[in-house]
Amino acid sequence: MTTTTVPGVSGAARACTGSIFAKTLYDNRRVFTAWALATGVLAMMYGAFYPQTSKDSLSSVPKAMEGFGLNDSSSAAGYLQGPVFGLLIPLLATFYGAATGARMISADEESGYLDLLLAHPLGRTRLLLHRFAALATGAVVIAAAVLAGMLLIRSSAKLDTISIGHFTAQATHLALLTILFGALATGLGAATGKGRPAVFGVTAGIGVAGYALYGFAPQIGADWLGHLTPYHYYIAGEPLKNGFRLADIAVLIAITAALITAGAWRLNHRDLAR
Amino acid sequence: MTTTAIELDHLTKTYGARRGLAGLSMQVRAGEVFGYLGPNGAGKSTTIRLLLDLIRPTSGTARVLGLDPRTDAVALHRRLGYLAGDFVVDGRQRAGECLTFLGNLRGGVPAARITELADRLELDLNARIKSLSKGNRQKVGLVQAFMHRPELLILDEPTSGLDPLVQQTFLDMVTEAKDDGRTVFMSSHIMSEVEAVADRVAIIREGELVALDTVADLRARSFLTVRITFAAPVAATEFADLDGVTVQETEGSTLTFRVDGSPDALVKAAARHTVTGLRADTQDLEELFYAYYTGAAATA
Repeated sequence: MTTTTVPGVSGAARACTGSIFAKTLYDNRRVFTAWALATGVLAMMYGAFYPQTSKDSLSSVPKAMEGFGLNDSSSAAGYLQGPVFGLLIPLLATFYGAATGARMISADEESGYLDLLLAHPLGRTRLLLHRFAALATGAVVIAAAVLAGMLLIRSSAKLDTISIGHFTAQATHLALLTILFGALATGLGAATGKGRPAVFGVTAGIGVAGYALYGFAPQIGADWLGHLTPYHYYIAGEPLKNGFRLADIAVLIAITAALITAGAWRLNHRDLAR
Repeated sequence: MTTTAIELDHLTKTYGARRGLAGLSMQVRAGEVFGYLGPNGAGKSTTIRLLLDLIRPTSGTARVLGLDPRTDAVALHRRLGYLAGDFVVDGRQRAGECLTFLGNLRGGVPAARITELADRLELDLNARIKSLSKGNRQKVGLVQAFMHRPELLILDEPTSGLDPLVQQTFLDMVTEAKDDGRTVFMSSHIMSEVEAVADRVAIIREGELVALDTVADLRARSFLTVRITFAAPVAATEFADLDGVTVQETEGSTLTFRVDGSPDALVKAAARHTVTGLRADTQDLEELFYAYYTGAAATA
């Protein structure tokens, strides 16, 4: 009918105005890229230390910390499961999930933008799923960046005892852990209508407490406690040594699905806050 | 084609102990411009958010364009344009980008339509939303509400922040929408804003309907304040039995009356004495609404 274009819309922006999912990704392009780069580079830096640390193995890790997997640096997989994939990366993943999830529903509800979006022909569940899919995409990009970083230093840092397949498995477990905490924050916001700081705080708190529980559970002789945390399903099966752990993957996906389903159900049954 | 655009039946919303709406019943006819007035906190936004299914009623029902706001939300929203009382969007995007996105949520709005409205309101589509003034941000809200030519426009305080020139453009847009056979439901806390365009006006106070009528009929309900100064003091009781006349104040030989309806009886009664001064004021519409707002006026 017309060839007029709307001013203020660049080509990239226009391509990303087709759905809530695309728009959310576009609006978060810088944040997601920064997360992926930072996490990937950190993983790479710590991974590159392996040739140095492998000499004084088992050195100074206190007995009480063994549950965190910091006690085995005799092999590449053992080392990476410690400070890198056992501590730094999963905690970053937790914070990405909490921070991003708190923005998917809570922040827009707080500002009133959600009112505008939901006055459009768009169901609440659909809005939630689009937003969550964008968050999950960001998580996959982070995991892919970590994987790329690992593969980049694999031979130079003497990590080639771990196969590419096993690295991919670990990255997949990482993506699922990240998405799970994203689902927790998104679901909390959707279910309660609480503001962004509260949703972020509660999710991050649950994450850190869960991590501590997972780490200390073996010391107090209650391994089963660790099984209650997602970290168990993320790394206890040692994907760097054993590859994909399908049962663990299934548990992570099931928890994620339950969190999003519960959040969507509550969101559909409650008043939007103002 | 339904003849009723909005129908509220004992619509009630309570927030904990606080009452938002208390059994509100009224109808908005298809094709009319309907002014929804009340002081801040009277329940105007609560009503509008119920119509849009952003919140759910405690009891009672609403029908919008013949549909249930809850179960038919998506189908209904396709046919609506909505402007919130405080229009909020992500400030980092440009106005044009925001409007294109919102149009796409409705299946796409021709670019020419967006630019036409923006030109009319003198809105710069290249500007980032966070750099816009309150009034210019409100223009973005107006464009997104009007751009897809919805059957029903629900506008919550649409003129807030607009300068008088843009207000006039807005009123023209409302008139055009009405001429196209579309329905406009707009809230305000200022009568003069809706007086020029509204066919009918509802006034709510503390969640209850206190008046619903045409602007002309509401005006006819306003009363006259008459101040008469006599040569010598006159007893107020002399005027006590007159129809539609109440003595409001006695001050020396000056009496102040409130006259509802014709002043004939008062003039004839006063003529029995020597009148040295007379002053009559019609209550203006703002005063009338103020009276409704504060609950001073008799409910109709």
